[in-house]
Amino acid sequence: MKATKTLGHSVKAAVLTTAVSMAIAATPSFAKDMTISVWAGGSNQSDSYRADAIEMAADILEREAAIRGEELNIKVEKKLFNDGWENFKQAVTLAAESKTAPNIIVTSHADIAPWSQSGLIRPISDYIDQDAWPVNQIYGNLLEIASYNGQLWGLPQDAESRPFFFWKPHLKAIGYSDEQIEGLPEKVKSGEYTLYNVLDDAKKMQDKGLVTAGKGFSPRVSNGPDYWQFYQSFGGQMKDKESGKLIFDKQAMGDMYQFFVEAAKMGVTSKTHLGGDWNQWYSEVANGKAGTWHGGTWHYNRYTGKEGLDDFFGNIQFTLIPAGNKKGRANTITHPLVYLVSNTGTDDDAAIAAELIAIASEPRLNSLHAIKSAHLGIGKEQANVGLYSGDQWASEATERLLVHANAMPNHTEFGQYWQIMFKGLEASWTGQKTVAEAVANVEAELKTTLGDNILIK
Amino acid sequence: MRQRIGLLGLGFMTPALIMVVVFFLIPVVMTGFFAFTNMGTATGVSGGEYLLTPKIIKHFEAGDQFDKTTINALSSTSYSVSDAALAKAEKAGLKKKYLQEIGKRLNGKTYAKRRDFIRDLKKLKSRPRNQRALIKSTESFSQSIINKRFETLEGFKIALQNTGVDLQPVQTDRVIEASYTGWVWTTENFTTMFNKPDTWFVAANTVIYVILVLAFNIGFGLFLALTTFYLPSGQSAFFRAVWLLPRISPPVLYVLLWKWLTWDTGFVSTILGWFGMAPYNFMLGSVESAWMVVVLINGFVGASLGMILFSSAIQAIPSSILYASEVDGANRWQQVRYIILPQLRWPILFTTSYTTLSLLTSFEYILLSTEGGPGGSTNVWSLEAYYTALNNYSGNLQYGYGAAMALVLVTIGVTVSLLYLRLFKFDDLVSRPRIES
Repeated sequence: MKATKTLGHSVKAAVLTTAVSMAIAATPSFAKDMTISVWAGGSNQSDSYRADAIEMAADILEREAAIRGEELNIKVEKKLFNDGWENFKQAVTLAAESKTAPNIIVTSHADIAPWSQSGLIRPISDYIDQDAWPVNQIYGNLLEIASYNGQLWGLPQDAESRPFFFWKPHLKAIGYSDEQIEGLPEKVKSGEYTLYNVLDDAKKMQDKGLVTAGKGFSPRVSNGPDYWQFYQSFGGQMKDKESGKLIFDKQAMGDMYQFFVEAAKMGVTSKTHLGGDWNQWYSEVANGKAGTWHGGTWHYNRYTGKEGLDDFFGNIQFTLIPAGNKKGRANTITHPLVYLVSNTGTDDDAAIAAELIAIASEPRLNSLHAIKSAHLGIGKEQANVGLYSGDQWASEATERLLVHANAMPNHTEFGQYWQIMFKGLEASWTGQKTVAEAVANVEAELKTTLGDNILIK
Repeated sequence: MRQRIGLLGLGFMTPALIMVVVFFLIPVVMTGFFAFTNMGTATGVSGGEYLLTPKIIKHFEAGDQFDKTTINALSSTSYSVSDAALAKAEKAGLKKKYLQEIGKRLNGKTYAKRRDFIRDLKKLKSRPRNQRALIKSTESFSQSIINKRFETLEGFKIALQNTGVDLQPVQTDRVIEASYTGWVWTTENFTTMFNKPDTWFVAANTVIYVILVLAFNIGFGLFLALTTFYLPSGQSAFFRAVWLLPRISPPVLYVLLWKWLTWDTGFVSTILGWFGMAPYNFMLGSVESAWMVVVLINGFVGASLGMILFSSAIQAIPSSILYASEVDGANRWQQVRYIILPQLRWPILFTTSYTTLSLLTSFEYILLSTEGGPGGSTNVWSLEAYYTALNNYSGNLQYGYGAAMALVLVTIGVTVSLLYLRLFKFDDLVSRPRIES
């Protein structure tokens, strides 16, 4: 790809030189050379199309310009960041302060609120036609997630959702029939099978010696949107639609903390599970060393790839995150990444960047990313792209999960809320504080730091 | 001659002065300055603009400063085609033919949203064919200031007036204040800090951390210095070199070795496994074991400094005194207690104060090992300040609050150093020897 491109450039350069020397007396031709940089956060090699699609889009845009008789050369500088969201966001924010942020940023939609206030990003709706292809076939709820303050800030780059996983052979070993396993997603959805049932089953698996102690239930080992799902499982809401304020539901948060405390007490997970090693975690869950766990749709790639799980569907059942009690519901959160246009460079740079983003969001291009990285598509028309529709995981996960998914709110103070929520979870889970103390602490901290940006129920 | 020496001295000092200014003075001054602002990701560092958003309007709705009519007028994002708007558009440089077509086909129309207006414009033959130009051409038809950025206060005020919304001076001030996107001066960081229960927890952790590691550093450094002193010189050199290793190995590698040692898949658990013990993660397994590992990781690094300083101080004790004590029948312990330790007062003072100060601000080994876990139990002040200001999962960097935390640390550091100088009678130590006066 790269070689062809370089070759393409040199051929183009040669042609241009000849053309220029020949046509110097004729109409002057203006070549426009641009460099567009793109940084993608949380991306490893299987997410390479987050940046590669921009490069492919550049090629298309150059060809379109050539047909119009314009000479446009776009050099795309790509960078994938894979050492934690912390470092990526630090890099982008600090680069923006020194006016060297990349033109295109691939990041969490949760960054839109603070970055739009600081002026780090420009609304993409100023540059592209929202009624035209391919934006007009992108799912409305994903566009909603990329909007803030009534403006469309970026385009969704991918979608995903965060399911609950069960190791099928272990379920069988504790007495589940094949039919019961197949019916589990339905039972979870209806709220009949709850998070506390998960703990019971996990305990049974441990008691039978199928997994070692503390591995019956293996939650995510670090902070992530996942933990908001458990808050929703117990009836919590993140944002009040009416007032636009965030919501801290003491009861739901307390119930959520209590659930993890109970899990640790029962011994199905450890008190100090948080902070564990990701590589170890992946190898355990993909090889039947954990009974139940939760993760993301993109994990499919890791399990079947690096971890060597041959038969995913034969070994793993996936469902929504079960409800915790009667007040809550089975749910899953989608945390789409978005393509954003930064304030770096001129308005012309931004216009080109926005056009590249739009082209990169075409169903065929986006499907390359979706399938290579085991994410879900962003548009309705992807069902008509062979690569996408032919992939069992993408289509099943879209059907079973994505339609029920909601997202975290776009709100300037949500990041702070998130940090405080997670601190409370850590403190109660590890037994540093009782659940009541942790909730009181979170409340006190929210009151002092967020003031009237949050409703406390 | 004098003059030249003075200049030469200054010349030698210049690099050091520059370093002090660049790496100490400027950061401290900046910290002091940042600490009294609400700077963060959302406000940026380099100043702000004026931007009235629907979110701000919602805040106004919740308060009682604005009535419903004013709110509606302020929040309107409508686009209207009128003669005045067309004239404005012509001034802005839009093509005549295009404007004529708009006037002919859309005059008198009002659109609630820009997108609806654009949909109609797209039907015009003489429209700009470039999407961006088309979107830009709508600007003259809107009176709204919602979601528009203004670089200067003047510009914002004028635009606010041009909306035609009748605001009282108090209301105008409120709109201006709420619309400012940049940082403002505030002392809130400090009130928040003192009201947050977590602050005291982290402060207590920091005290525990400093005391434990300090005790280990000095105690173990002293132990190494004394034991190696009584060894034959070849052996003592070897042991000192070995104990220097933690300091000279790159922190990332050093901590990685500790992970291999202490994790449940690590060396210690494997050995214990032979005796039937379940694998255990000592680094994160429990609060106590996490603290133990943190203290050891930092302690072994710090002990080498003490060891070197104490060893050289012991070597400097005239051997005749030691021989004399042996003649008098002193045992090893008595030599240490009555001859060596009193001579070590100065190096112990130096190491104690230096280590205290560096421990107060150091967090790299904790960051690399436990990351403050499990459950924030090994989180210390400087690490918390780092997370707050520069590095956290949600990307919400609070420079102002982080700087306020750092400022507290600087203040404590300076106070503690003054205290140490008093306690160890620094003036006596550096005073002119009596024999010369």
